[in-house]
Amino acid sequence: MPSALKADGITVAFGGVVAVNDVSLDVEQGKILGLIGPNGAGKTTLFNALTGFVTPQEGRIYLHGNEITRLPPYMRTRVGIGRTFQTERPFEELTLLENVLVAAFLKEPKRKKAEQLAMDVLEKVGLADRYDQPALDLNLARRRRLELAKALAVQPSVLFLDEMMAGLNPPALKEMIEFVRRLTDQNLTIVMVEHIMEAIIELSDHVIVMANGSVITEGLPRDVIEDPRVITAYLGED
Amino acid sequence: MFDYVSFLQNLSNGVLIGGVYALIGVGLTLVFGVMKIINFAHGDFVILGMYCAVLLNSLLGWDPYLSLLVAMPLGFLTGALLQRLVLSRLMEAPPESSLLVTLGLALVIGNILLLTFGAEPKSVNVSYASSTVSLGEVSFSMILLLAGLATMVVIAGLYTVLNHTELGRAIRATADNRLGAELVGINTRWIEAVVFGIGMALAVTAGVVLIPLLFATPTFSGAIFTLKAFVVTVLGGLGNIGAAIAGGLLLGVVEVMGASYLTSDYRDAYGLLVFLLILLLRPEGLFGKTVKRV
Amino acid sequence: MKKHYFIFAGLVLVGILYPQMFPGYLSVAITLLLYAGWATAWDILGGWAGQVSLGHASFVGLGAYFVAVGTAHHEIAPWWSILMALVAAAMLAYLWGRLTFKLKGPYFTLSTIAIAEIFRLIAINEGWLTGGATGVFIMTLPEPFGLDLFSRQVNYYLALAFAAITVLVVMLISRSKFGYQLRAVREDEDAAMASGINPTTVKLKAFMLSGALTALGGGIYAIFLSFIEPHIIFYLLLSVQIALTAIIGGRGTIWGPCVGALLIVGSGEIFRTTFAEANMLIYGLLIMVVVIFMPRGIVGEPARYLIRRVYAKRAQG
Repeated sequence: MPSALKADGITVAFGGVVAVNDVSLDVEQGKILGLIGPNGAGKTTLFNALTGFVTPQEGRIYLHGNEITRLPPYMRTRVGIGRTFQTERPFEELTLLENVLVAAFLKEPKRKKAEQLAMDVLEKVGLADRYDQPALDLNLARRRRLELAKALAVQPSVLFLDEMMAGLNPPALKEMIEFVRRLTDQNLTIVMVEHIMEAIIELSDHVIVMANGSVITEGLPRDVIEDPRVITAYLGED
Repeated sequence: MFDYVSFLQNLSNGVLIGGVYALIGVGLTLVFGVMKIINFAHGDFVILGMYCAVLLNSLLGWDPYLSLLVAMPLGFLTGALLQRLVLSRLMEAPPESSLLVTLGLALVIGNILLLTFGAEPKSVNVSYASSTVSLGEVSFSMILLLAGLATMVVIAGLYTVLNHTELGRAIRATADNRLGAELVGINTRWIEAVVFGIGMALAVTAGVVLIPLLFATPTFSGAIFTLKAFVVTVLGGLGNIGAAIAGGLLLGVVEVMGASYLTSDYRDAYGLLVFLLILLLRPEGLFGKTVKRV
Repeated sequence: MKKHYFIFAGLVLVGILYPQMFPGYLSVAITLLLYAGWATAWDILGGWAGQVSLGHASFVGLGAYFVAVGTAHHEIAPWWSILMALVAAAMLAYLWGRLTFKLKGPYFTLSTIAIAEIFRLIAINEGWLTGGATGVFIMTLPEPFGLDLFSRQVNYYLALAFAAITVLVVMLISRSKFGYQLRAVREDEDAAMASGINPTTVKLKAFMLSGALTALGGGIYAIFLSFIEPHIIFYLLLSVQIALTAIIGGRGTIWGPCVGALLIVGSGEIFRTTFAEANMLIYGLLIMVVVIFMPRGIVGEPARYLIRRVYAKRAQG
């Protein structure tokens, strides 16, 4: 299977602090990569580097074999990267439909078709019945789904999920896991940062563990989670 | 032959007037540093000081420096009340809201002054208006000298309060981290009122000190002073007091030098151009910390 | 959306008939229409794109001076001057935006004030270009289709066309991809980027459109006044009034700026006969009240409430 996303030797430093230290990864199309590690490990920084919100000092990033290292975030979206934000960022003054419409306009410049795409995506995430509700008024679970809808509406080939599962109650969590699993049926590649191990185990094809900016191990979910080094890394932060 | 005397003359004039600009700028930047409020009415506070001196002079014959005794406390109280009653409601709002509300405030102040005093420019004539003090071949206008002196005293006083008193410590803590300050028991709402009061008192002082030198007009000059205050603070980076002082001095020198060596028609423009340049090239100010984008 | 078009058509109709009904009150109507148009144009940048400019008098001045100097000193017909002014305004907006959009909100606003001030100083000092502090008189104007451009009635229809054009532009924007991009950028630039939007391009387009439309009004203003000078044109207060009109009426709405113009020019007229200076005092109080208690403006607040009501009804019904 061809490589959907590849990163070579990414290093990100702020001032004197090295947040991400020579990290490389390669995700096959249609697979799910899980990124785990204690707080401060550099996961979100790596995420931001891959999606263009932070510039790495070193390293290269490739999308379907094409280099995207120098592209700003909106260009990366246009070539197929979608992302959610850890703290959801809905456009509060707009309705749900309008929120997704903004993203849908990327691939469908004409309003009628864009609206159709937006409604379809809202259907998929189960928010279609609230299409004209102001985004400001949503609860957490629905804000999460809206965030997902906005990322899906740009019709990405690689989707970055930033802690999508946090704070969800068990039924909502199960729903979200199922939903993410189904996404790969359309050959969507997913990179997810997670703290909720249940999601990591159930969804990831491959897991990378980071601590203090570096990769300490990677492999199959079950193997990685039982690796003593990983356990110490997590316990060490307590 | 380079005219050293007139160069020194201009430089010293620039520094002295710059000191007053610094005073204005420090008030603005202090308020921003602690409360993240961008006070568009700051220049009008200066004008208030000017009119206060004018009033006391015409009613009681007071010298402007005497009216400071009234103007400063009055300015402090008014500022504190304004913050407590009006501006505190903006704490949750985006920064442009404080800009707009204070803009409205500027209009209100300016027009109340217009209605009370009329549109004619007013000034105060002091007996020592034309006296000078000479240092070698360079002569200093008495007014400018006194202004510079007053500025130094006030800024030194502010420095002492900020760095060597309990209040100053509380102010600095609130500026650094409001939540943290509250957690250690500082009454941040009260601190904010005090700081705004100080800011206004500083502006009013600058006005009083400037009135022998300039004419006060109720509406127009307020905006000019506000703009100058912003130029000063941007030069130094909003929130940085020491830099505001440096910024004020720089502005004073740039203005006087520009007016002497280039053309005086564009005197006000020099400061503006430098301001724009700094905004474009180094928006965090000459001394500020780099503003990271994401 | 349909109802907006109906309102528009209705207002235009009223506008066309107005001179027949109130022939004595044309000047105030012209002022109202100019402010409505300027505020609407301002709002494209200030409300839709969320960048508060307090220097829009620069664009008014650009339009006014191109027309005045063009007619008085170079015998260029006003329509060509206005065309040139539109291009100049767009270019100015482009350069200015390119340089200043990386500045955070309040800094951008400050830069707009500084630039307008610089224009004023240039207008005063460069007499060879602008007639200096004494200003420019427009003595003669051509007569397109036999129309007397000095007549109040013709000025009125020009102003009406101007206001109508700006509102039409905003109506078109509100339904389009551009309109949604603007709102996304205004709310959250990072989220907008994640949705594939380039914030700088969007803001620049808004600025150029806003500036050009404002300059159009400026050109008409010059014809209306027949005399311009730096003090009244590149005037900070004019910039502030334009911004206030849009803010009080409601930023980011279609009709907000027009409502603001009605309110402000209307109250200005009422007070003109009693309390002229108190007018600005009231503007000041009004802006403070609106920003603190009704930040979305007179049109924006109820609009917001209505959207929630409509959804609630549908969800329950």
